[in-house]
Amino acid sequence: MKRKQLWFICILFIAIGLLVGCTGEKNGEAGKTEEGNEDNRTLTIALGTDMVSFDVHNHNNTSTEAIHINMFNYLVKRNNETGEMEPDLAESYENIDDLTWEFKLKDGVTFHNGDALTSADVKYSLERVATDTTLLDHANYKTIKEVEVIDDTTFRIHTHEPDPALLNRISRIGSSILPANYIEENGFDHFLANPIGTGPFEFVEWVRDDRIVLKTYGDYFDEKNEEWDEIVYRIIPENSTRVSELLTGGVDMAVNIPPSDWVRVNENEGTYLTQGISNRTLMIFLRSTEGYPTEDRRVREALDLAIDNQAIVDNILGGAGTPTITRVGPGDVGHAEHLYNTYNYDPERAKELLAEAGFKDGFEMTLHSPRGRYLQDAEIAEMVAGMLAEIGVTINIEFMEWSNYLELRNAGENKDAYLLGLGNSMFDAANALDYYRYDRFIGQLDYRNDEVEELLAAAEQNMDAEERNEQYIKIQELLAEDVAHLVLHQESINIGVVDHIDYKPTMDEMIYIDSITRK
Amino acid sequence: MMHYIVRRMLQIIPVLLIISFIVFTLVFIAGDPVALMLPEDAALEEIEQLRESLGLNEPFYIQYGNYVFRMIQGDFGESFRYGQDALSVVLERLPATFELAIAAIVIAIMIAIPFGIWSATKQNSSIDLIATGAAVVGKAMPNFWLGIMLILLFSVTLGVLPVSGRGSIAHLILPAITLGTGIAAEMTRLIRSSMLEILNQDYIRTAKSKGIKSVHVIYKHAFRNALIPFVTITALQTSTLIGGALITETVFAWPGIGQLLIQAVNTRDMAIVQACVMIIAAIVILMNLLADIIYRILDPRIKLN
Repeated sequence: MKRKQLWFICILFIAIGLLVGCTGEKNGEAGKTEEGNEDNRTLTIALGTDMVSFDVHNHNNTSTEAIHINMFNYLVKRNNETGEMEPDLAESYENIDDLTWEFKLKDGVTFHNGDALTSADVKYSLERVATDTTLLDHANYKTIKEVEVIDDTTFRIHTHEPDPALLNRISRIGSSILPANYIEENGFDHFLANPIGTGPFEFVEWVRDDRIVLKTYGDYFDEKNEEWDEIVYRIIPENSTRVSELLTGGVDMAVNIPPSDWVRVNENEGTYLTQGISNRTLMIFLRSTEGYPTEDRRVREALDLAIDNQAIVDNILGGAGTPTITRVGPGDVGHAEHLYNTYNYDPERAKELLAEAGFKDGFEMTLHSPRGRYLQDAEIAEMVAGMLAEIGVTINIEFMEWSNYLELRNAGENKDAYLLGLGNSMFDAANALDYYRYDRFIGQLDYRNDEVEELLAAAEQNMDAEERNEQYIKIQELLAEDVAHLVLHQESINIGVVDHIDYKPTMDEMIYIDSITRK
Repeated sequence: MMHYIVRRMLQIIPVLLIISFIVFTLVFIAGDPVALMLPEDAALEEIEQLRESLGLNEPFYIQYGNYVFRMIQGDFGESFRYGQDALSVVLERLPATFELAIAAIVIAIMIAIPFGIWSATKQNSSIDLIATGAAVVGKAMPNFWLGIMLILLFSVTLGVLPVSGRGSIAHLILPAITLGTGIAAEMTRLIRSSMLEILNQDYIRTAKSKGIKSVHVIYKHAFRNALIPFVTITALQTSTLIGGALITETVFAWPGIGQLLIQAVNTRDMAIVQACVMIIAAIVILMNLLADIIYRILDPRIKLN
């Protein structure tokens, strides 16, 4: 090789060397968090999407709430272990009559600017989301009529109608309490840029699409978090990049680890996969519209009997999921235990039912499915199609881009069936079973069961908790018997974590920093 | 020259208006953002109520008219997703994209100039074959694949560079190489062909016959002239760079305009999509104008009409 050629190569390598050298980072440690270092009190969590906003009433987004939950508080909170409601900002609460709830706030609660929390803050916050129709969370709070301030720490919530789910309502997305005075003095835009809440962590910085940084709030009313000084949420949309960051120690935790990387994360030295059941249930909704084969209960039952739910969970989800016949999961008010962790499977009986319904030679139907919206959704749709083919039903799967999919469904242009995964952040059967109300989906699903309709109406405003519970269980039994739709399984939550951190996901998909500890 | 620049600047206005119409129509046809803003199980009346609150029930021409009227005043509307002025959200991301684009161009030039010259001066040699072959491979490699491979090699296996994010120079290297590779391939081929054309010119032969050192002939006589098309083509690479940035920024979690646009399209955040496209269009048009002006400066024989 001539001198000139050598010269070119040398220049090129020197340039690359200089660029790498400029990093000033030691070999093999680029971008690493201080793994295993007891003094490292910064927790870095990789999320798939950026936070939407600090407007706690206007996002409707679980991953955004998973951040807010550490900066703001609700009046009451749901214990993820027991499912019971526990006081959070409220010290006590009492149901005075069907339309009135009285609350007493805890003493010593302060916002991150030092202002004390008062009933006026609660009034401002709940009335804002209850009355402003442009807010994305408004629909879940419109039952609230007014918040009446009794004194600085006592207030009453008045509802338009009896609302037995009120406590569930005010312990979820959209019910965080905002600082009324701070917002009034500085304006809402100032609050959005410099948010303050009452939670264990306070705001430091938000670089959009890059990172959100929080630090421990020293005067937190409950117990100051001693484990961490700083929380950094990094936004990494691409799955493989997020997993690589976890494997190289660039982050301590990474959410939504795709099934294809579960083994990789578990077998990598220094990381593990932690899984938990979410309350999102994957279902296939069937049209009961006149003229469709699934109008006939026997056909719906045949389809249900042809699907081996456990095989889907085992083969596609690596066992991370729970087959179920009801959408109301454990921990939800009104959960029917006997319909959970079970499924119906009998392909021979399915064939008989089809023959009885006049479809001895089977029939063809269309299944709309999103691709990539839910865990392995496309693979699940394909497996279901394979199982239904065994009883002579030919499924034409139409995979659709998510927004087009929603639009088609909302316009009532969907064909025989569509696949959907529905969560239930309210943890109440009312929210989950509302999907079976006839008038919600006229022209789209057209499922109607008069007994279910009556029970839904009765339970919706029934303030007798025990009776209401029974009503919802009865509804689920009726729906299972009628096979209104095909319920497949509850999804799992899959989070990759570095070995020196202890964490178990909770069903509500929130990431409570207080529950993350160093080993 | 000044007359030409002013005339070209004025031409930008109708071009941007046409682009605004196309983008608005496409976003409008693509569908309703409200369904994406509410949960899957939102009732139809909730969807309808929100649509009305956001003024999305108006007919197309009224929505477009309002949009153009506001756009002329510099108001691209409010982002549904961020609840913030769309233009400020987009402008916030521009520095990150510029940083990445400049680094990618620098890397592309660092690769293209030596290899382009080398390959032209050694035409049909094994070196030429390797350089042109590498250029074809470089052009053919999809950005997302190259990005993931670079992460696996340099971050996961060797551990010398961070995986993703923006911050130090180290964070810039992999995304810049990913984005710059395709452009480097294009440039290498361009320099090679320009050099080959010039090396066969009479004045090069004359210079050689005068006994001037071949290094001087290549760099002072040939390369300077080969630079003319090279510089203009580099300026015209802006649209390629921004197109590539859409993927590269997503793979490397680089908080620039590309990642913003991808998310805005996914969530049908119309105001952001429109603001992004208009800003990108304005940049591309300005870079094209710049290319024409540079061409004129480098080669005074060219007349700007």
